[in-house]
Amino acid sequence: MIDFLDVCERAETGPLMTERDFELKVLIPGLRGVVKEYDIQYDKETPVPADNDLADRVYEASLDYLARVGIYCQDTNRVIKFTEQEIRDVVARAPGECFTGEGKDASVFRVRQPDDGTAARCHVNWGTVHSSWEMAIDIMSANVAHPEAKGISISAVNKTVRGRQITAGSPLEMYAGIRAIRTAREALRRAGRPGLPMMNLVPAAASAVTTIGASGPQFGARTTDGWIIGIISENKLDYGAMNKVAYLLNWGANIGSQGAPSLGGYCGGPAGTSVVNTAYFLLGLIGMKADYHLCFPIHFRHGCCSTRDVLWVVSTSSQAGSRNVPIPVIWLGYMAAGVNTKMYFYEAAAYLLAACTSGADAVKMPTPAKGVKIDASTPMEARFGIEMVKAASRLDREEANELVIKLLEMYETRIPEAPQGDRYQDCYDPETATPSDGYLRLYDEVKNELSAVGIPFE
Amino acid sequence: MQRDEIFENLKIAIVEGDGIMARETSEQAVEADVDPLEAIEKGLAKGMEIVGDRFECGEAYLPELMMAGDAFKAAMEVLRPELLRQKKETTTAGTVVLASVKGDLHSIGKNILANVLETHGFSVVDVGVDNGALAIIQEAQKSNADVIGLSALMTTTMPAQREVIEALKELGLRDQYRVVVGGGPVTQEWADEIGADGFGENAIQAVELLKGLVA
Repeated sequence: MIDFLDVCERAETGPLMTERDFELKVLIPGLRGVVKEYDIQYDKETPVPADNDLADRVYEASLDYLARVGIYCQDTNRVIKFTEQEIRDVVARAPGECFTGEGKDASVFRVRQPDDGTAARCHVNWGTVHSSWEMAIDIMSANVAHPEAKGISISAVNKTVRGRQITAGSPLEMYAGIRAIRTAREALRRAGRPGLPMMNLVPAAASAVTTIGASGPQFGARTTDGWIIGIISENKLDYGAMNKVAYLLNWGANIGSQGAPSLGGYCGGPAGTSVVNTAYFLLGLIGMKADYHLCFPIHFRHGCCSTRDVLWVVSTSSQAGSRNVPIPVIWLGYMAAGVNTKMYFYEAAAYLLAACTSGADAVKMPTPAKGVKIDASTPMEARFGIEMVKAASRLDREEANELVIKLLEMYETRIPEAPQGDRYQDCYDPETATPSDGYLRLYDEVKNELSAVGIPFE
Repeated sequence: MQRDEIFENLKIAIVEGDGIMARETSEQAVEADVDPLEAIEKGLAKGMEIVGDRFECGEAYLPELMMAGDAFKAAMEVLRPELLRQKKETTTAGTVVLASVKGDLHSIGKNILANVLETHGFSVVDVGVDNGALAIIQEAQKSNADVIGLSALMTTTMPAQREVIEALKELGLRDQYRVVVGGGPVTQEWADEIGADGFGENAIQAVELLKGLVA
């Protein structure tokens, strides 16, 4: 079976070509070819299809695509190629589970199936940026207080270290990376969950040097946490990413490959994006030796994951992966609307219904305001997300499809002008870490509306 | 082949992203003594316009833009020598240097914008990812750019957009270029704070912004 040294060797011996030629002459025709040959067609009337044959065709197309296209290494300008048989061998031997956390917070992260009947695993908190460490600690502590939380994405650092601006790749980034891990571990300790795994290490680190340097156990990182290593869109890696893999393999820490195919980018439309998203599960297994995967197919124009076509991608690629690729996957959704808006909850409900009923193994609580507004997250979103995950476990794909169509009618046309909503300090009392009366009222109203639509809350 | 048929085939070649057809039809245009400027305006540019319109209304995506751009270049390889021979010049909507700033390895948003700008008649110099301020400015000088476009997808790379503007000021070159910024976490407020000339939330907005700035 292929090991990581084989991958490294192929990065130096594979076919030589320019990045532009890889995109135009290999990736685009390869993807178009499999979409046509496997008859993958987007149906806007059915955002959550209940079609196992379609799911399996998406999987076969993704395997064929990865074998045809490979991965482009930006540092060597060579294509790392795998045969179809090599990919199938890795899939056959994948364990389908990942051990995370320590002590009473230790857990096994396992794969689910479409229409599973169990609740997806809940990951709380976001990599969104906060303006103070104190606020980040308060929000992280509140989010992990939910017993359903099995993992956390720790908050990104604010923009300065002791008043000095952090810039990517600079020594200040190293300071910030170390401090983010130490701060998060402190937040977990305060919440009584010191063993909970941090699954997005190291947030906001642009360089491999920061990721590796900040990851020592002396700073609070453990092998049972998880490290996110991004695939460069689309089908590309560089030596920075590969150095992270090499370090984590030698340490024995959990590796999380990350794929964020852009609908409208090199993938083209929804069909191609679904194939590429599924191929990234395979790429994680064979090319990055991943123990788990994190994905967020995203709309190129709106920068969110709640559009009708992206929901179809989420559903079909989740079904394709769950039925065929034994790697636990965390699904992350960026919502267009922000905190303390009804639209955020409509979007989050649609996203979680589509993902959970389609076999998502774990879901991160949907991120408000596209994840780009500072301080734009509160513990209320996790509370809602956990309630939605439980509700989704009582539904199958067909039922979810009907509900998602109704939800889309409630927000779809407003995506381009989505309300950006509040910041934490606008709708929470920072002293007591409690939501404002206004936010609580809005939350109750939304839940009543969604219950009326047919979502089976407890 | 009739002139109108040549123009139509050039347009189709662009819309289909067919580089071979674009080259062959361009050769036919030269043989038929068609004005190369007319071939560009009535054939190639019309095709680019159609692809751009399709992109804007969500019927085409980046692959179609890239293939159209590639077909356009294939045609120009035939038509450009003819333009030179006849001492004729093409006009562009403006020259834009695009870069992802220092520390930022994200490229897809920048690449989409580059292709959309080309379909709208801009000449684009894409200097890639992880570029320092001086390298970007040198490229702008070399290509006699009208606009410098700076992409940043991380909060920790946004300050590098400011660095480019500050470097332009230090070098006494700020007045020579319009500087526009974009990327996931970038906002109009940030653009105002660092003294950029504009901000585009997505490629479509950015094109309209640049049309206004260069006009």
